[in-house]
Amino acid sequence: DYDLIIIGGGSGGLACSKEAAALGKKVMVLDYVVPTPLGTSWGLGGTCVNVGCIPKKLMHQAALLGQALQDSRKYGWQYEEQVKHNWEVMVEAIQNYIGSLNWGYRVSLREKSVTYLNSYGEFIEPHKIKATNRKGQVTYHTAETFVLATGERPRYMGIPGDKEYCITSDDLFSLPYCPGKTLVVGASYVALECAGFLAGLGLDVTVMVRSILLRGFDQEMAEKIGAHMETHGVKFIRKFVPVQASMPGRLKVTAKSTEGPEVFEEEYNTVLIAIGRDACTRNIGLDTIGVKINEKNGKVPVNDEEQTNVPYVYAIGDILDGKLELTPVAIQAGKLLARRLYGGSSTKCDYINVPTTVFTPLEYGSCGMAEERAIEEYGKQNLEVYHSLFWPLEWTVPGRDNNTCYAKIICNKHDNNRVVGFHVLGPNAGEVTQGFAAAIKCGLTKELLDETIGIHPTCAE
Amino acid sequence: MAQRLMVRRLLSLTPRTLPPQGPLAPCAPPGRLFGTSASWRSTFNVQDGSDFQDRVVNNPKPVVVDFHAQWCGPCKILGPRLEKMVAKHEGKVLMAKVDIDDHTDLAIEYEVSAVPTVLAMKNGDVVDKFVGIKDEDQLEAFLKKLIGA
Repeated sequence: DYDLIIIGGGSGGLACSKEAAALGKKVMVLDYVVPTPLGTSWGLGGTCVNVGCIPKKLMHQAALLGQALQDSRKYGWQYEEQVKHNWEVMVEAIQNYIGSLNWGYRVSLREKSVTYLNSYGEFIEPHKIKATNRKGQVTYHTAETFVLATGERPRYMGIPGDKEYCITSDDLFSLPYCPGKTLVVGASYVALECAGFLAGLGLDVTVMVRSILLRGFDQEMAEKIGAHMETHGVKFIRKFVPVQASMPGRLKVTAKSTEGPEVFEEEYNTVLIAIGRDACTRNIGLDTIGVKINEKNGKVPVNDEEQTNVPYVYAIGDILDGKLELTPVAIQAGKLLARRLYGGSSTKCDYINVPTTVFTPLEYGSCGMAEERAIEEYGKQNLEVYHSLFWPLEWTVPGRDNNTCYAKIICNKHDNNRVVGFHVLGPNAGEVTQGFAAAIKCGLTKELLDETIGIHPTCAE
Repeated sequence: MAQRLMVRRLLSLTPRTLPPQGPLAPCAPPGRLFGTSASWRSTFNVQDGSDFQDRVVNNPKPVVVDFHAQWCGPCKILGPRLEKMVAKHEGKVLMAKVDIDDHTDLAIEYEVSAVPTVLAMKNGDVVDKFVGIKDEDQLEAFLKKLIGA
């Protein structure tokens, strides 16, 4: 019936569908949110819009504003009232904005003549899927080509009490009550960003880490992020894992050390599990049509044209094995895929030097390689690392942390001191990093950087 | 926006402090009572497609249809204002409220992109429409035109 059916209406799926429809194809998008154990669900748009980047950045902003209010007195603002934060007001405002985005996507799909079904899609035979909606009604659809863009969902720990008593990021952004004293389990960027803004809103936050912070990221930067969070009131419990969550009165967590026999017990209002995300590829009938997935993590291996081992099935976004889990990457991959399929283009998605930012209280922006990775790739003797601590001008008056903000670039001596890694820890790191990412794409070298005159007074200079 | 489907499940997870009325669930209140019994009869919430067919399309009287959403701030201002102006006409014109998230098919059928969108319907046809917020004078003119024409 269709030229293209896309399973998943998130960043990747929607971008691909709109591009394909613009090229004149008959396109269908299926999007369905399986409710969390607590019953949370959401509208069209995928993780980023509903339970990811968007609400995260808004809550991060809420926390930053709290800090700004504190700083403001040093800048001369005088007010009598004690400032406190109302969780419910913030959540309602954020959810209203997300609602408008959900609707906006519905409208834009309609405008581009893309058929949208709020149904769970599964393959039942080659080129054919079964779509089941919320009421259990089933329809069948066929297409020449399929794109998998099903994304991921938070992983649970597999310990007693996790699904009954704990929440994940899927639930946090629409939680109707303030989380209160919170334990965040995990050391991923999701865990640290959430712990960061919860603490920024004035809550008592503890982070329980099994081993290292921000696996896969530059570890020097990761430790600095952790240290900053600690000096600002976030408690860290390192080298422990929870073994049980129970509710004898309040929510009680029991944890064991990874190195010895010690046991830790504490009560919290909320336990947020952020130990990783699993691809939604297990129950969509991929085995029926022979699409291979990586059994270890459920992700889909693809060639450099996002094609799976089954020629008419492609995959984009977070579910790709070995690729970056970022919204702009999924969007770019989706658009380029549609153009290659139907627009006669041959441009492939470039996964190298993709910039990213972690929105912890002290933001961390990076583009290119972590130092460890660069050493592995080029050898320590072939690299030169230039670095500096800096004190943002805006922090001087309120007397905020000196010697905390930090920037470093990793250069390849054998290639004109080409910048292979850019890392900055400081305010507005995302805004700062974006421009440098473009420069790196153009082959930025240390010399070019030195020749670029700075803008004063900024952190970026 | 996020919805919580299992109210009972969540409420069983006390002793955390939960708001007394339960989680945020989209629920359109029945036509707001605005003092006069005429307003109770003049405004209604559309239940589904066939309800719309019966009470709006097939209605011998003219009907203004207020397409709105839970997450839309201006809708919360326009809604009561429009209801009040409709009530003043004592039954000569009726008002139907449609939540676009609950009745997306209907909203799409009538090409609603932004909210609030208000359609003026007479004998099943859309004879007038506006998008966004309006003040009482503008609403009065809109209603007069619908009834009078």
